[in-house]
Amino acid sequence: MLEMFEYDFMQRAFLAGMIIAVLASVSGTFIVLRRYSMISETLAHSALVGVAVGLVAGFNPLWMAVIVSILAAWLIEYLRAHFSLYSDAVLAILLSGSLAIAVIIVSLGGAFNNSLFSYLFGSILSVSSDDVVTISIFGSLCLGVLLLFSKDFYFIAYDEEVAKTSGIKVKLLNFLLVSIVAVIIALSIRVVGSLLIGALMVIPTVSALQYRQGFTKTLFISLAFALLSVASGMTLSFHFSLPSGATIVLSVLVIFIISLVVNKK
Amino acid sequence: MKFTLPIFDVKNLCFSAGGQDVLSDISLEIFNAEYIAIIGPNGGGKTTLIRVLLGLEKPTKGEVKIFGKRIKDFKEWYKIGYVPQRATHVDANFPGTVEDVVNMGRTSQRKLFSKLSQEDRACVLDAMKKMDVYDLKDKMIGTLSGGQRQRVMCARALASKPEILILDEPNTGVDMVSQKRFYALLRQLNKEDKITIVFITHDIGVIADDIARLFTINQKAIICNNPKEALSCEEMSELYGMEAHLLHNHKHEH
Repeated sequence: MLEMFEYDFMQRAFLAGMIIAVLASVSGTFIVLRRYSMISETLAHSALVGVAVGLVAGFNPLWMAVIVSILAAWLIEYLRAHFSLYSDAVLAILLSGSLAIAVIIVSLGGAFNNSLFSYLFGSILSVSSDDVVTISIFGSLCLGVLLLFSKDFYFIAYDEEVAKTSGIKVKLLNFLLVSIVAVIIALSIRVVGSLLIGALMVIPTVSALQYRQGFTKTLFISLAFALLSVASGMTLSFHFSLPSGATIVLSVLVIFIISLVVNKK
Repeated sequence: MKFTLPIFDVKNLCFSAGGQDVLSDISLEIFNAEYIAIIGPNGGGKTTLIRVLLGLEKPTKGEVKIFGKRIKDFKEWYKIGYVPQRATHVDANFPGTVEDVVNMGRTSQRKLFSKLSQEDRACVLDAMKKMDVYDLKDKMIGTLSGGQRQRVMCARALASKPEILILDEPNTGVDMVSQKRFYALLRQLNKEDKITIVFITHDIGVIADDIARLFTINQKAIICNNPKEALSCEEMSELYGMEAHLLHNHKHEH
């Protein structure tokens, strides 16, 4: 089984995958507790617009994905704050809207090919050394900010208004959280794919919640589930030549079902 | 200075939402170490008043000062503890122990990068003991009874060492015995720790002995500055209890 690490591409993919598992599960915990699970799906589709622009115009798709998904995150927050729209409707509109734009850009640019496929469903073959560096740098920054403000994010998830009246800068932190989530999603699409990253953010936390533990334990259980599913997903992907995003999500789904059954009252 | 400067100074406050006046021309002051009960019919604007005081809603007209400062200039929010109406509703799966939740009370005062300090720990411990929830500290918040949650929410508010505690009727789903115990704890906080208490409640009869002043809010405010001198406790509770009760029923007929 360990022979897969004899391949350079596999080492790179594994390293990137582990970093993404940490980022997705930690940020996912706050997103899920805030009932904001759908934002990950939406931002992942927005990131695809960045990828499309990158592929067609010849820029680094990863960087473009980071930029576009941050802009999309800000747009979502702006729309939620300034128009009386339902937040889930805003997410649905942006999700399909960005996908449409991405498809048009790619079609017009004639880049509808395998490389787009790998951005949709993830591919362990596609992770370059540059990608690993980008993921490590941005990933550490995101994790740092998440941990720095984890208590604040936790409080906001518990009760936004009470957090506000106790002096926490709720607006600023909400903005910060969606921006970080946007970056994490953009970083993740190489390995997990934009159609599947939402699952890696949401399912480990939802599974961990079934064990009804305190905050820190829940965070670690979620982290362990994410790492386990990325590791097993990548192994499956390597041995059966399947898109890594799909095998990772399938692994985390198995963990979810087991968690549900084990904790059924 | 501390004794003369009111904690809250409200002048000619008006609030309307959707073209409807919810609060009109309310002026009131809340002083240090007072125990104030707020009563009034449902929909009379009690909760809105509290929300405006806390800066969660912007007044249409008028001014609110906290510790002499306008809301937008006020920074020392840890001095105010707030327990909202929905405090007893908690998602059963929320990943938090009682201690996790009470720790939140220290969040806004914590320095970046630092974990809870000795002082933070002491405040959290003290708040849990005062609210009689120390024994529950490792229990999950979602598994507690309504009365226990109510006390945990108060402990969370107390952990920031507030000078004033504002409670918006956090008693849905709380049984009578727990309720009485809760009132006794509030009395203690007010008498012994000199914490100002502002309490929206329907149970005016039960706490009549504890309170210094009574605000009746029904779009306008009727402020009874000296209920005990003006009326005996029994009369007062009857009058205001009845009034609240009648207004309450009246509202429901429409």
